[in-house]
Amino acid sequence: MDAIEVSGLSKRYGRVEALRGVDLRVPGGAVFGLVGPNGAGKTTLIKALVGALRFTEGKVRVIGKDPLKDRAELRQRIGYMPQVPALYDDLPARANIEFFGSAHRVPDLGKRVEEVLRLTDLTDRARDPLYTFSGGMKRRVSLACALVHRPEILFLDEPTAAVDPQLRSRLWETFRKLAADGATLFISTHLMDEAMLCDRIAILRQGRIITSDAPRQILQRGKTRLLIGKDGKEEERIISGRPEDFAAALRLYGLSADVTAVSVEADSLESVILSLIEEEVA
Amino acid sequence: MRTPIIARRVISQLLRNPRFLVLSIVAPLVIVYFLKVFFDTLPPTLDVGRYAIPVAAFLVHFLAFLLCAIALVQERTAGTLERMFVNGFRRTEIIGGYMLGYLGLATFQAAVALAEAIWLFKLDYDTKTLAALFVVVWILAIASVMLGIFVSTFARRESQVFPFVPLIILPSVFLSGLLMDADLLPEWAQWLGHAFPLYYANNVIQEVIKPNGSLNNAWGSLAVLVGYGVALLLLASRTLREVE
Repeated sequence: MDAIEVSGLSKRYGRVEALRGVDLRVPGGAVFGLVGPNGAGKTTLIKALVGALRFTEGKVRVIGKDPLKDRAELRQRIGYMPQVPALYDDLPARANIEFFGSAHRVPDLGKRVEEVLRLTDLTDRARDPLYTFSGGMKRRVSLACALVHRPEILFLDEPTAAVDPQLRSRLWETFRKLAADGATLFISTHLMDEAMLCDRIAILRQGRIITSDAPRQILQRGKTRLLIGKDGKEEERIISGRPEDFAAALRLYGLSADVTAVSVEADSLESVILSLIEEEVA
Repeated sequence: MRTPIIARRVISQLLRNPRFLVLSIVAPLVIVYFLKVFFDTLPPTLDVGRYAIPVAAFLVHFLAFLLCAIALVQERTAGTLERMFVNGFRRTEIIGGYMLGYLGLATFQAAVALAEAIWLFKLDYDTKTLAALFVVVWILAIASVMLGIFVSTFARRESQVFPFVPLIILPSVFLSGLLMDADLLPEWAQWLGHAFPLYYANNVIQEVIKPNGSLNNAWGSLAVLVGYGVALLLLASRTLREVE
């Protein structure tokens, strides 16, 4: 059984179709990235998965459960970090984490709160009210609140948006650590370069999933430009991003004695994703 | 039940906002004083007692309603309400927690505003009357908190609460018998007056402060006031949306 199974999911807000028949499967124990531009429907999809939104059509199963009908059971097993901090600014970090943790009857809550404070690097500021915190620190508190009850699946809605590069890489280290401990992470992002950090991604555009695959597989849909120096001339060849095509090109050119130089320029994952999104538009 | 968890959080937020707390206690005090200044300009034959306590009750009603309504709407705009639901809190727990959380503040407001009105206007009531007055203002305060919670379940933003303020609060000034006997109003206006909790509170107050008056003659209105609060509690637990 996959951790998340979605079929034909649609959501309309009046005349606006936010989701238009989303089909998606997310394997357990992996970091899954939902990649898409602003307004693609990422937040709507996450809200439907965590049971905060009534959808118009389709079927959703999270750990085999219906997010609306089985929400009492499911809510103990999932964690959710919304796009906005959604915290109590006048309360200290520790009180915020304790409050959301106490919704779940976490055994030995005090000890667990200290654990997540350490994991999110907040121990020193645990007693300070959140209005003294920077945006990045509030995100860490928000993450701590989402994982205090040791959820099996964590839904993180743009956790690294508007975060400096240093904190971003620390957050990703934490995400990988959580996945290594067996959790499934469902992370939305509009930052295409983060897709490479996921085990698997889905690209969402205007309420539809364009493609869902491992980032390395998606990368192969890009192009590779070869510049081959031969007889004092430079020759350009465009081949696909598939490793087999690269090997074939090397066999063709790279092994002969008159080839003096070969340089390779491969599309980045970001540019492949962007061209996939644009292809859809065309 | 996780109601106490929410109540504890609401109270600790209140305690961490001394400015808000002081303002919500001082504001009725200052306004009751303005009332005194105003009444001092009127002929001394006027029965001030008939107005002083009902106006103090009105202030408590207004503030308890407004503060609670805004606090709950802020939870929706900040996303913490959605987060509470996703974390498994139920709507009855949230509403109950808010009611318990604001109960303390409402009690304090009721006690302080009443004490000041009695002292400033030199009202000479016996202990039994004072106790009865406190009970009715306190119940009104609870009903007002419930009204605030109920109204806020319809609002998505703070700006959507404000239109309800004149709609609910201002007509009750004229229709609930606060300024004159409600019986003098045209019949339809009297009926409309029955929709406001202040009407029942005022009924009880007028009955209690009569010479030889007592709570015994006002059980009916007091019961309606209690029922009003309970009905709002039940309604709010239906109208607070758990899923968008």
